[in-house]
Amino acid sequence: MVVTPTLTDAARLASALPPLLVAAQRVATTVMQGVHGRRRVGQGDAFWQFRQYRPGDAINRIDWRQTAKSRAVYVRETEWEAAASVWLWRDGSPSMDFSSGRSVPTKKMRAEVMLLALATLLVDAGERVALLGGGDRPASGRGVPRRLVNALTESAVLGANASVPPQVPLPAHGHVVLIGDLLDPLESLEAVVRHYAAHGVHGHLLQVLDPAEEDLPYDGHVKFSGLEHEGDHTIRKVEAVRDAYHARLVAQKEGLARIAQSVGWTWRAHRTDRPPETALLSLYMAMADTGRR
Amino acid sequence: MLSLGALAFATPWMLSLLVALPVIYWLLRLLPPAPKLVRFPAIRLLLGLEPPERTPVRIPLWLLLLRLLLVTLLIVALARPLLNPAAELGGQGPLVLLIDDGWASAPNWSVMQRHAERLTERAERANRPVAIQSTAPAALDDVQPKHGLLRPEEARAAIRALKPKPWPTDRAAAVAALQKLNLPTPAHVVWLSDGLDSKDLQAAAERALKLGSLEVIRPESSRIALTLLQPEAGGRELKVKALRAAGDGPRRIAVQGSDDRGAIVARTMLDFAPTATEAAATIDTPTELRNRIARLDIEGQSSAGAAVLLDERFRRRPVGIMGESQTASGQPLLQEVFFLERALEPYAAITIGDRTALLGQRMAIILVPDNASPGSDDRAALNDWIEKGGILVRFAGPRLAASEDELVPVKLRQGDRALGGAMSWGQPAALAEFPATSPFAGLTIPPDVRIQQQVLAEPGPDVGDKTWARLTDGTPLVTGEKRGQGYLVLIHTTANTGWSNLALSGLFVDMLQRLVQLSRGVAGEGTAQQLKPWRALDGFGKLGAPPLGTLPLPPDAMQTFRPRPVTPPGLYGDQSAQVAFNLGGRVDPPAVLGSLPSGVATDRLSEEGETDLSRWFLAAALILLLLDFVIALLLRGLLPLPGRRLGRAAGAIVIAVGLAIAVSPGDVQAQQPQPKAPPTQQRPQQQPPSPPPAATPTQPKPGDDALLRATLETRLAYVITGNREVDEVSRAGLEGLGEILRARTSVEPGDPIGVDLEKDDLRLYPFVYWPITPDQPAPSVAAAANIDRHMKSGGILFLDTRDQHITLGRGGTNADLKRLLRTVDVPPLVAMPQDHVLSKSFYLLSDMPGRWAGGRLWIEAGNGRINDGVAAIIVGANDYAGAWAMESAGRGMFPVAPGGENQREMAFRFGVNLVMYALTGNYKDDAVHLNDIMQRLRR
Repeated sequence: MVVTPTLTDAARLASALPPLLVAAQRVATTVMQGVHGRRRVGQGDAFWQFRQYRPGDAINRIDWRQTAKSRAVYVRETEWEAAASVWLWRDGSPSMDFSSGRSVPTKKMRAEVMLLALATLLVDAGERVALLGGGDRPASGRGVPRRLVNALTESAVLGANASVPPQVPLPAHGHVVLIGDLLDPLESLEAVVRHYAAHGVHGHLLQVLDPAEEDLPYDGHVKFSGLEHEGDHTIRKVEAVRDAYHARLVAQKEGLARIAQSVGWTWRAHRTDRPPETALLSLYMAMADTGRR
Repeated sequence: MLSLGALAFATPWMLSLLVALPVIYWLLRLLPPAPKLVRFPAIRLLLGLEPPERTPVRIPLWLLLLRLLLVTLLIVALARPLLNPAAELGGQGPLVLLIDDGWASAPNWSVMQRHAERLTERAERANRPVAIQSTAPAALDDVQPKHGLLRPEEARAAIRALKPKPWPTDRAAAVAALQKLNLPTPAHVVWLSDGLDSKDLQAAAERALKLGSLEVIRPESSRIALTLLQPEAGGRELKVKALRAAGDGPRRIAVQGSDDRGAIVARTMLDFAPTATEAAATIDTPTELRNRIARLDIEGQSSAGAAVLLDERFRRRPVGIMGESQTASGQPLLQEVFFLERALEPYAAITIGDRTALLGQRMAIILVPDNASPGSDDRAALNDWIEKGGILVRFAGPRLAASEDELVPVKLRQGDRALGGAMSWGQPAALAEFPATSPFAGLTIPPDVRIQQQVLAEPGPDVGDKTWARLTDGTPLVTGEKRGQGYLVLIHTTANTGWSNLALSGLFVDMLQRLVQLSRGVAGEGTAQQLKPWRALDGFGKLGAPPLGTLPLPPDAMQTFRPRPVTPPGLYGDQSAQVAFNLGGRVDPPAVLGSLPSGVATDRLSEEGETDLSRWFLAAALILLLLDFVIALLLRGLLPLPGRRLGRAAGAIVIAVGLAIAVSPGDVQAQQPQPKAPPTQQRPQQQPPSPPPAATPTQPKPGDDALLRATLETRLAYVITGNREVDEVSRAGLEGLGEILRARTSVEPGDPIGVDLEKDDLRLYPFVYWPITPDQPAPSVAAAANIDRHMKSGGILFLDTRDQHITLGRGGTNADLKRLLRTVDVPPLVAMPQDHVLSKSFYLLSDMPGRWAGGRLWIEAGNGRINDGVAAIIVGANDYAGAWAMESAGRGMFPVAPGGENQREMAFRFGVNLVMYALTGNYKDDAVHLNDIMQRLRR
């Protein structure tokens, strides 16, 4: 089907995106106030500290000007500034278009806000960022979040509407952040994780769930229908199956945690009725930790 | 037809469907409600989950009950419930309506008509023809109703054309007429009776029963027509008497007297003792007011039997006697004035005085005894007065005999003495029979009346015509002459016992009375003339032109009159004088419908017909159905509104509907043009009088509560007179006025308050209404000081004599007003000028009516230095509170005459003006000068 972008469509897009971006910026700014650089020695341009020469240090790293000022020999250390490449992905399937109440954003909206905020943070920190399956090379710079926004709204991204991340070849030592409800069968998710882990890619899983999905707050006779043509399921007495549902949800979460752990990835859960900043900060710190290793 | 008290079902077999209710109950319980629809992304986790217990889903109990109610309503609606069901038309064959349309049916007439129409409707449903026969003889101008069997629409037209007649029924004749119709038998006769017994009742009922079956419909005994009897004119008051058919508990009725223009001038209450069928009361009113009463009516009963027309016989006429009060002379009991006064006193209002005093007032007749013989200028003035319609009655005596006096109807024989020696009476003469043309015709002459001395008329051709009474020897005793519109009458003997013993006889009283009656014309009771019909009452007691063909009454009608089609009750006579013939007392005294032959069914006359309730039940079922639909949607989660929002919305709707209902009656008022809010600026010295800054030690200090109650709101006050009815009217009147003030002005008075002149400090109230009653005690000196303080501190005292200006401003003063204000320092009063502030303080008014109209207000003579010239005392007489008093339904408590509701509105406007005047003083007067003031300020 050929989509003819009309003026109204364009206007709608233009008006819809900036709020998303603004929200992401706001989230990112809040988080950024608590994070300052990598605070560790490494390759980079920024001066970090002087340190007394120790045997084994390369001679060309001696800062002669500083050494001349005193009797000890000093080595100049720079802050670690190795730019990592991060591929971001969010679940774009119809099942993400769900919110259980007016005051709660849809899962998709929350996932995209988190993705863009994370991208903003990473770009600010000098990392290179790209959408997983987007085909672009990771890039840095202030324009990246805006480009990501455009890319998110286009369906050109590979697996844009899939609930499972695509398996594309990535260079080693890259980072992958997968944001979605991650309710698909564990096997399919595990396959993806293993695919990237096998390529030496670090990864983080952020599971975004609606409070209704966590609590199953329905009673009585209810006919449930899925959002992705999974079919209907009628339960005569929902309150009677709530515990069983919880058990299944916990099993799913534990399975995800286990898969992540087995390959050295992290897994986090986030509810859409909670503020996104906490989850984002935690995710960001986790990424910093992974980088330190 | 299944009947359950006031409810019946037209198709009761439908109710058998109710048996199905338990089945529906069971089915509903079995059928679970449709599941709620939920879109749920994590359905993958739910797939395969089943609740462990397999209990079926139950419909909630309240929903179950709701649906059962719905089904029940539907079934009941199908069974066609009827409220106040009419019994099936009984009997067989055609329906014969025998309708009592005598005078006694008038109060219940509309109900009877409706009842008859309903019966016709039922006959129509049963395809039975209808015949109609009224029991009272038809009126002369009635269109003869169609006899025989009628089609339903003809029958309805005939029922609507029937009118109650101002004479009694003749049931035997009506049944006889029915039998002559040769109706197919058997027929079903329904007799719509007026509830009164009659002598021919038994026989008529038995004959009607022969036609087939008979059902008698009778009204509640308390609704049977009342009869008002002719009042007796006692000395000062009218004694009214009413009859009822059954002594069924205490009952209170009101009788009102109205004048010939319909204005109500008197009212009295009659109380029936629990078992009595008779109640009496007196109407005690000032003479002038009483003379205006043209008819009496039982309030709320419009029938010829409840109306009594009054004629001259019931009026007290003002009679003047020329002369001095008898005390001036040494032998008061022999004075002519004394005899005249004693003879007339019970029947007339007597004034004694000289010519100027008498002619200054309105007199129907002036009696001139011999010792007050008029001088020549008196004679000229009296002659003028006669020409204009007065009646002068002179009495002969030594002075007249001695003088040359032309103010006599016949030329008197000259001589210094009345020919006493020349007359050759063997013995004192007796009176001859009165001539038929004389006003005295018909009076019986006591045999022992003897005339010893008289003045003699000069024989002439006209003496015979002018002679109204003569002695057995043919000499005239009374001569009369018509002069202009009036009469000059001479009694040829003295008014005392000097010349005859006539003054001692009852005949003297009768003759004087006849003369008093002359003041409206010669034709009086007992005149030998036929009385032509002048005005006739209709069945509802309305006075109108007599129908063509009404017969004149014979001279002896006073004794023989019976209301009949050819002689309906009414006024007979001519324009100058009429005699009233009433129905009350001329028909059999009312009695409750007596025993009926066996086999006669009876029923009550009922106002309400049956009401088909099925559509209401259907509507209720429909509403429940909609409700059920909404509930079903809600249960399935298909309504966008979450439950609590819906609850809030429902609450809002309920509140909105409630408000709409509460507000809607007010719309009527809102549509009336609302006057602009009055200027609220108040003059400092005219503010409601505040309590004294330092309580004077002599003044009992009211409790703070009372002070606060009186002053927190502006309150209109009325003086407690001690007469419970008057006080209640005052309170209701001020309440009604307050209601108007709240609705139309920015004055928002609190509840009116009654004040005791002796105890309460009047200064707390800017406006005090004081109705004058004869029985309230005169205020003590302390109370007078209280009133004085109130007036001096800027309060307004509004006195209402409530007597329609009879005693106010016509030379006389109200005795009660005088008595009550004796101790009070009343400033001089003047009639209110036309351009006074009171006529423009809010509305522009030209006159100030209350319950009555007319007359003037009397206000304090303007004195610019005290209270800025605001009158502290206003005196009116129109019973203002009576006009302001409203019943809860917004209707006036009392009728207002003569202007009706229009006048009541004017009374309210006057009240608004009055209160505005009390609160803002001369503000409106000053506002006229606003331009000048502004100009001066600018300079």
